Amino acid sequence: MGRLRQKGKAGAAKAYVTRTSAIKKLQCSLADFRRLCILKGIFPREPRSRKRANKGSSAPTSFYYAKDIAYLAHEPVLKKLREHKAFAKKLSRALGRGEWSDAKNLEDNKPVYRLDHIIKERYPTFIDAVRDIDDALCMVFLFASLPSNARLPPSLIENCSRLAAEWQLYVMHTRSLRKSFLSIKGIYYQAEVMDQTVTWLVPYQFTQNIPSDVDVRVMLTFLELYQTLLGFVFFKLYTDSGLVYPPPLDIKKDEGGAGVGAFSLQSTSQTASSAPPKAKAVQIEGRTVSGKDVRQAIKSMAGVEADGGEAAVQTADSNSMEVDEEFVPHPSTSDPQSTMTLTTLKALAALPQSLTTSLFSPYTFYLSRETPRSIFEFIVRSFGGRIGWPASSGSGSPFDESDDSITHVIIDRPVLEGTSETTEERERRSRRKYVQPQWVVDCINAGKILLEEPYTQGSTLPPHLSPFGEYEGAYDPTAGLTGQAVEESESEDEDVVLPDAEEDEDQEVQLAEKKALRAAAAANDAASLRAAELAAEVAGVDFGTFEKEVRKSRKKSKAAPKDETEAAEQDMNKMMMSNKQKKLYEKMKYSQNKKASERATLEEKKQQLQKQKKREAKAG
Amino acid sequence: MTAADIEQSKKRKLASRDDLLPTETSNFSAPKQSLEMLSDDEGSDDAVSDDGQVDDFPEIDAASDSDTGGEKDTDEEDSGGTDEEDFLAEDSDDSLDRDIFPKPKTIISDITGQPKRVYPEIEPDYDSDSSTEDAPNRVGDVPMHWYDDLPHVGYDMDGKKVLRPARGDELDRFLQTVEDPSAWTSAFDKTAQMDKPLSAEELDIIRRLYANEVPDAGYDPYEPMTEWFTGKGKEEVMPLSAAPEPKRRWVPSKWEKQKVMKIVRAIRQGRIISSKPKTASKQEFYPIWSEPSTSHPPPLPAPKPRLPTNSESYNPPEEYLPTEAERAAWEALDPEDRERDYLPKKHASLRLVPAYDRFIKDRFNRQLDLYLAPRIQRVKLNIDPSTLIPKLPSPQSLKPFPNYKSLKFAHSMRTRCISVSPDGAWVVSGDEGGMVSLWEVNVGREVKRWKFETKIGALEWCPRVDVCYFVVGIEETLHFIIPPNLPSSVLLLTQSILAPTALPPAPETPSLVKWVTPPTSSWSPDMAILTVQLPQSSGLPKQIAWHRRGDYMATVSSGGPQGGVWMHQITRRHSQAPFKKIRGAVQLVLFHPLKPHFFVATQQYVRIYNLSEQKLLKTLTPGIKWISSMDVHPSGDHLIVGGYDRKLCWFDLELSDKPYKILRYHTRAIRSLAFHPTYPLFASSSDDGAIQVFHSRVYNDLMTDPLIVPLKILRGHTVKEGLGVLQVKWCARQPWLVSGGADGTVSLWCS
Repeated sequence: MGRLRQKGKAGAAKAYVTRTSAIKKLQCSLADFRRLCILKGIFPREPRSRKRANKGSSAPTSFYYAKDIAYLAHEPVLKKLREHKAFAKKLSRALGRGEWSDAKNLEDNKPVYRLDHIIKERYPTFIDAVRDIDDALCMVFLFASLPSNARLPPSLIENCSRLAAEWQLYVMHTRSLRKSFLSIKGIYYQAEVMDQTVTWLVPYQFTQNIPSDVDVRVMLTFLELYQTLLGFVFFKLYTDSGLVYPPPLDIKKDEGGAGVGAFSLQSTSQTASSAPPKAKAVQIEGRTVSGKDVRQAIKSMAGVEADGGEAAVQTADSNSMEVDEEFVPHPSTSDPQSTMTLTTLKALAALPQSLTTSLFSPYTFYLSRETPRSIFEFIVRSFGGRIGWPASSGSGSPFDESDDSITHVIIDRPVLEGTSETTEERERRSRRKYVQPQWVVDCINAGKILLEEPYTQGSTLPPHLSPFGEYEGAYDPTAGLTGQAVEESESEDEDVVLPDAEEDEDQEVQLAEKKALRAAAAANDAASLRAAELAAEVAGVDFGTFEKEVRKSRKKSKAAPKDETEAAEQDMNKMMMSNKQKKLYEKMKYSQNKKASERATLEEKKQQLQKQKKREAKAG
Repeated sequence: MTAADIEQSKKRKLASRDDLLPTETSNFSAPKQSLEMLSDDEGSDDAVSDDGQVDDFPEIDAASDSDTGGEKDTDEEDSGGTDEEDFLAEDSDDSLDRDIFPKPKTIISDITGQPKRVYPEIEPDYDSDSSTEDAPNRVGDVPMHWYDDLPHVGYDMDGKKVLRPARGDELDRFLQTVEDPSAWTSAFDKTAQMDKPLSAEELDIIRRLYANEVPDAGYDPYEPMTEWFTGKGKEEVMPLSAAPEPKRRWVPSKWEKQKVMKIVRAIRQGRIISSKPKTASKQEFYPIWSEPSTSHPPPLPAPKPRLPTNSESYNPPEEYLPTEAERAAWEALDPEDRERDYLPKKHASLRLVPAYDRFIKDRFNRQLDLYLAPRIQRVKLNIDPSTLIPKLPSPQSLKPFPNYKSLKFAHSMRTRCISVSPDGAWVVSGDEGGMVSLWEVNVGREVKRWKFETKIGALEWCPRVDVCYFVVGIEETLHFIIPPNLPSSVLLLTQSILAPTALPPAPETPSLVKWVTPPTSSWSPDMAILTVQLPQSSGLPKQIAWHRRGDYMATVSSGGPQGGVWMHQITRRHSQAPFKKIRGAVQLVLFHPLKPHFFVATQQYVRIYNLSEQKLLKTLTPGIKWISSMDVHPSGDHLIVGGYDRKLCWFDLELSDKPYKILRYHTRAIRSLAFHPTYPLFASSSDDGAIQVFHSRVYNDLMTDPLIVPLKILRGHTVKEGLGVLQVKWCARQPWLVSGGADGTVSLWCS
């Protein structure tokens, strides 16, 4: 006989603790526990059986791993939080007694916790950290745009905006921006840093105010962690690319509203800075080529062949690479089939550079004063373009409006009629291209310079699509309608067009024709088909349309009954599925149907819109 | 208004407010002038009591104490004088005291001519009780409201009433304040019940109090100090204690030195930094990832938020814009239930895009997800759902099976029971109206019908092929009926079995069941040749189950003792109850096709008994709440059980007590199940009006599981009052199915 097993001594009962008991164990307040969880990245777990984890109670509670909590108990930050609690008591006591010098001493020796070890714990390697900076960047960019108040000290806002500027500088310097998307929520950017795609969202430049149902304490705790994380990540990124971190800030420029331009990137050593920056960029590019790049390269090759005449700018810097010795696979003697071909760096370099990181390098842009400078300065400079702006958008513009090198003006205002302009202005206008801001973003998403024609000032813009793509099989607005839908719409069109296009006297003939065609559609065997053909001939339908109709109906009829029997059989076979499988099947089918119906509604809407447009065109 | 006026009005207010103040202060240190001032007003009162005699009193020498002793005798002598004098004498006697009061002088009164004693004027100095000085009202320290209702306000020294001074109405008082220039420096005197002007001293006290000065004008707070112990010639020369001076007074402390040295050492070693940098110094960054990381596996990275799709664009294609209906539906939903947290919107230009009002809320929700949401790692199944459907042979390859309705036979009421003859040529069907019809399978022609009094509970052909009869179970009775038009040999044999000329010997123990055969003369095809009368109150026989040899027959009645189960032996014309008592209500019984086993289905369990050994073999637990039907495979190794809770369980009797497969595909309760005797088919009927036909192949080797393939769903019966198809039976030699429904029709389904 084995040992008796007591209840609640092993298994889920030991592995999980509720939040209340965790707090009790750690002897801290709920707020401190929350803060610790945020900083340490500890989140509740869902036990397989809530009852077993909670002594038979199924009350709604959140569970944590007991090991996580035991791990928290040794946390230096927890110790510091306890010290802070004691400090707060001492301080309030000193203040209450009016012992000002004691209070000042206490304040000077206030316990402060550091998060360095937490960063190291949570992100053991640098790649882990880079993979996880999306949320951090979003938060930093958000707080950089918030007004300071009692809860948000100006120093915090300042630090956030500094971090945001440092990130932008780095992305511009390494030209790692890949995609951008102007959405209703803000601007999404996607960069590829250390082979990781980093996506962040920047709000439009309006004053945000914090809604009352948002707990600022939670946000600030996250921000605390994110600031530290970003500091270490940027330090590593800057030093790896040979730059000084933190980049020195020119206060005068900053006060002038230079934004990103107030920081100056400095190389760590003179020798490094003397080397041409181009070579450095190549080196970095060479290091960061990944499987994803290769795939994209292949895709874009196909794309280039297809679109042909478009003026696509390609950068082929591979010539500057020094000649490397090629890896030669030696087949093994025992198993000649097993030679695995590795993609070597050289092979990768031979591929054409798909990511046109210097897309805008031949161009010089000028921002009109109503376009947001921070967005377009960042995008254009990330793709190698030069950009200038009027003084009203901030200081530090490298050139002014009258510069001759300007090729594009990004303008976002309607065309004004009847403005008198001097000959000089007119000439300048003819030399430059005036485009709306969407052109810039669409260009970088397409990876090539698009025609400026649809984006000219005051024109109705083509739709702006997400560069991030949707799930497989989703509705694609760029593709034409699918075969079935097109056919249907055509036939519907005909139906719609016929009555009002033809004259009344033809209507009887029309009816006869239709009848004949319908007979053809119904005909299944050869004899009846023959009869239908004859009838059609009598009615005066030409053979082409007859054939078409017959083929269509064949297709339909063939598809229909076979599908029907198969569906019936499948339905019966479903009886033999186990309950689990049945549920899984139902779930999958549900999501499939949902996607399909979504797609169908979008297609239907598009059809209707097209029809409406056609009608309007005809009417007007 | 000038500054002086303001001062004045202030003072007036003060005076009116602090009307008690002057009286108190006057008690405290009443100067002489003030008393004189007061006496001005009280002149009239004084005149009443004093008769103006005060003026006449001569100046008296205050220091005439020496006379007092000598003049005592005259006091005694003159005791019998006038009342007035007596009063006076007594008065003076009371108040006289040797030390304090001077002796009176005796003078001759010029009014009466009599000698009278005259006392010297009392000098009101510090010792004198000034409160009694000349206040006419002698009521003392009593609340003055006692006199509120009286015409007087107290009594004077002579015990006469002091009348209440005339007080005008408010207007008069106002006028008085206007006219009288001293009105603002007067205060209400409580004892006199009238306003009295304040004296200059009193006003001075008020002024001092007002200026936060010492009220007493005579008090000097800055008197020069009188030196008693210091100064020349006043030093103390003698010490207070004779103890010798301690050493610590002049030797430096060792402990202090140690303490200081400790701090000094700490400073030298750098443990104490004199000016420590502030704690709120800036965060320093360093290459944190340069040293090797711990062997700890990194925690799972948080899932990234979903990337934006086309519909989130500021300028999406028009088909993404929501219609009015979609917008209304979106707004009607709870924010948590919405699939997207935004509505697509189209802006003609980037400058027209407003701020997103839920930006911070979105960020916050993401953070809540990060630290409050449990994370579960899910393996995403990337399979085609159609692969989940088991691959079964196509029904087309498993022909024949019934797939269409070939004929229909109509009853007037619900057809609860049907039976097919063992040769498969005839069908008897019985309805609730008591009508039993015999009809032919091939063409559906009715050959004969029998009418019974009550509804038919069960109906079954005898499985023997050499004889031909069937049993009809109605209320407490079983009728054995021979169908008409039989070949004579078969008829004779049947008659000899059911009504033998020599009855078998009666059993020793008389049975409750009576076997009755009508006399030979009254035999007719309309009548039962043999009737078995079940015991009283046993109810309607629900089921008749034949043993395959056709000699034994089991019936299940709805009521009666022993679960209503009776076992009848035809040749011995004997019935017995196999169970003395049985747990649960028996629903169905069945004979095993090959072995002497007996299946009994109670409400939830199926028990298998060995009849020869008379013991329980097995209990099957189908997990059905209420068993409705059961059938055994011709091989005897498999059993199907159907329930009112729509489940159908397939038992492999060799395998387990638990069902091998549970099928749940009828939408309503299962009513009947039947295995085909020769073809690998079984059918189930249900209250949803459908009959489902399955292919069920059973393999002889123990390794292969039985193959069950759904073949066909036969629909054609209508559901009436919630009842669908009540019974299904197979034709013995054909893959044909006969079904009886609640709509009163009996259908034949052919392949």
